[in-house]
Amino acid sequence: MSTPAIDVGWGAVVQRVTPRLNGLWVLLGLIAVMALLPCIASPYALMLMLPFIGYGITLLGFNLLFGTTGLLSFGHALFLGVGAYTAAALTSKFGILSFELLLITAALASGLISLVIGALCVRYTRIFFGMLTLAFGMLFHSFLFKFYSVTGGDQGMRVLRPLLLGMEWRGGKTAFLTGPFYYYTLLLFALLGLAMWRITQSPFGLHLRAIRENANKAAYVGVQIFRMRLAAFVISAIYGGIGGTILAVTTGLADPELAYWTHSGNLVFMAVLGGSGTFAGPAIGALVFVLLQDFVMSVTQYWRFVMGAVLVLLVVFMPQGLSGTIEALVRRNGGR
Amino acid sequence: MKLTRRDFSRLAGAGVMAAAAPRLFAPALAQNKPLRIGIIAPRSGAAGTAGECGIRAVQWATERMNKEGGIAGRKFELVIEEETNPKDTIERLRKLILQEKVDAIHGLISTGVSLGVAPVAEEEQALVVMWDGTTQDGVKEMMPNPKYVFRSTDNECEAVMGSLLAVKHFKGKFKRVAGINPDYSYGRNNWEAFKQILARFGVEAEFVAEQWPKIGTMDLTSHIAALNAAKPDLIFSSMLFADLPVFMKQGHAAGLFEGVKLVLPAAGWQINQLKKEFMPEGIVFGHNTLYFDHPQASALQKAFVQDYVERYKEVPHWEADRAYFAMATYKAGVEAAQKALGKWPTQEQVAEAMPGLEVESLGGKGRFRKDKIAEQVFYQGPSTNSNKYDFPTLASIDTFSAEQLQKPPGADFWEWIKTAKMPV
Repeated sequence: MSTPAIDVGWGAVVQRVTPRLNGLWVLLGLIAVMALLPCIASPYALMLMLPFIGYGITLLGFNLLFGTTGLLSFGHALFLGVGAYTAAALTSKFGILSFELLLITAALASGLISLVIGALCVRYTRIFFGMLTLAFGMLFHSFLFKFYSVTGGDQGMRVLRPLLLGMEWRGGKTAFLTGPFYYYTLLLFALLGLAMWRITQSPFGLHLRAIRENANKAAYVGVQIFRMRLAAFVISAIYGGIGGTILAVTTGLADPELAYWTHSGNLVFMAVLGGSGTFAGPAIGALVFVLLQDFVMSVTQYWRFVMGAVLVLLVVFMPQGLSGTIEALVRRNGGR
Repeated sequence: MKLTRRDFSRLAGAGVMAAAAPRLFAPALAQNKPLRIGIIAPRSGAAGTAGECGIRAVQWATERMNKEGGIAGRKFELVIEEETNPKDTIERLRKLILQEKVDAIHGLISTGVSLGVAPVAEEEQALVVMWDGTTQDGVKEMMPNPKYVFRSTDNECEAVMGSLLAVKHFKGKFKRVAGINPDYSYGRNNWEAFKQILARFGVEAEFVAEQWPKIGTMDLTSHIAALNAAKPDLIFSSMLFADLPVFMKQGHAAGLFEGVKLVLPAAGWQINQLKKEFMPEGIVFGHNTLYFDHPQASALQKAFVQDYVERYKEVPHWEADRAYFAMATYKAGVEAAQKALGKWPTQEQVAEAMPGLEVESLGGKGRFRKDKIAEQVFYQGPSTNSNKYDFPTLASIDTFSAEQLQKPPGADFWEWIKTAKMPV
């Protein structure tokens, strides 16, 4: 009597004895490591983590649109701009310093604006969607740039230090940013990560994936394409607005360059770098982008060339991005 | 081994000395270490050539000053970071302060960036001496009574001077006026200042066209066509980035400048690119605070220009002077503070010592006012192509001091321009 062949490869063993690593765990692991950073990292390294948190949150939303729904926006920096200018207007013009209020208002403003823009954009797909979002992004940039009396034009608007949970934190700005603000935004990152994980794993997320794979088939089985795409667009914009608020508080300034198309290009770069096919990929891309840019800018004045070369190499040799490539390697080594 | 009481005392003494050594010798050691001065300047894009010119000047100043003993006896070195957009530049500023631990930061050219950087520098209590980039809008809000931030002369100075020279040289010779200015606060303020000065001097002008190209626009044909259609007698342009040579080249090709007077208050920034083949003569041509070919130049300017031309095969412009001025005033501030205190000064003490100290810069003498705004000398005049270079020089030089072109401390620029006593 012959015994059936049993897969005793390393991958199978690992799979049986450990829960499968998924995007959420990777993201939460990254956030847990970041929570320990203040014990060992310099203030400057912590300061670098703040843009990462801002971009990371933005990219969680961006990837709902790009990775999950299959819509590539070239104007997503618009919502970073909305978040940043909301924070600037509330703190500088209206004296509202509550960070919670800034976040809520930024989320609402981004949501409302995206509802209007999205209603027009999500009717289209592929290059047409990309061009429309680019056009709206540039329209918003022109508004910020031209309406001096409202937005400060090229000089932007100052963002004052906010209150966290109604509390004023004494000490220098660096101490504030690398202390309470760091932990506050890190917690926000974790919560928004959990929320996004829930969204992507819900029936709504399944609808979005179905739309990405084949919109016609999805429509045939009853998925409401327009509504679903619009909802994804609005959610991604809200994440963008929150990310923009964090970036603006960190730099202390909202300026039109935040909404410029090159900034939208950076978001696409980060998503591609990390890998849009995985949940945590874009956030990893944001981290690598921030660190890489900081390093390359310090080493050479031709840093744009280096960043461009990295993008080319990435697209040619690692189209799945860093996380996609690592995942593929793990699978291959695991014999799967 | 037996440890005697004497051995123990020796060991304890040595331990105490070793523990105290870093404290005892730290100031001396710290003062033997070179000073670190952070430089933030654009190195690419529309303002890249200007930033490079400033960096070259500050490198020249470093070499020269270090040979002469450095700053208050300490050699210094530069840590250069690139000025890009406000967000990234603020991150570079923080890197210089928190990671590189520089003793001061010099540089910055863009107003938008400098206004974003200033509050951060104040919050971080970091001494920043700006080379340029202080258009009036937003300064009051973003830099109210700075303690650590020193600003260049108002960016509108060159437009005020160009406008005054337009009155001096062209009054009665033009009627139809057009403007083509960069589409941001600098361009808009300069155009407005020009119009107000014409009005103040009773010049009855008809403003026939206004064009606002975005910085860095390299195809200006539509703007040139619009200007051509308006048939102006005089064109005022405060364009100053890489788009100015493009404008002059394309305008020349389109016959825009035939019989038209030109006022280019900031053209000196692009002097090496403004070739005679497309530059008409008699332009009111601004060199701001450094005219490289000044016949009565100081020995310092002559030495700098000679070295610069030999090394880079082109002539320097005012950004070199701004960079040198920043370094010279910082040096004077450190030395004055150290002399007064008898010890190495903090950044705050240097900032307190700097205002009022007169230094010799490349383009002439200058100083910072009590409100930490620079006062320097400005050079403009009608241009000529009769020279040994392949670009225009000045046929005659008009020299104004910043006191004549700049609003006094605390005044509002737009109120001042209506009532100020003008030097023409």
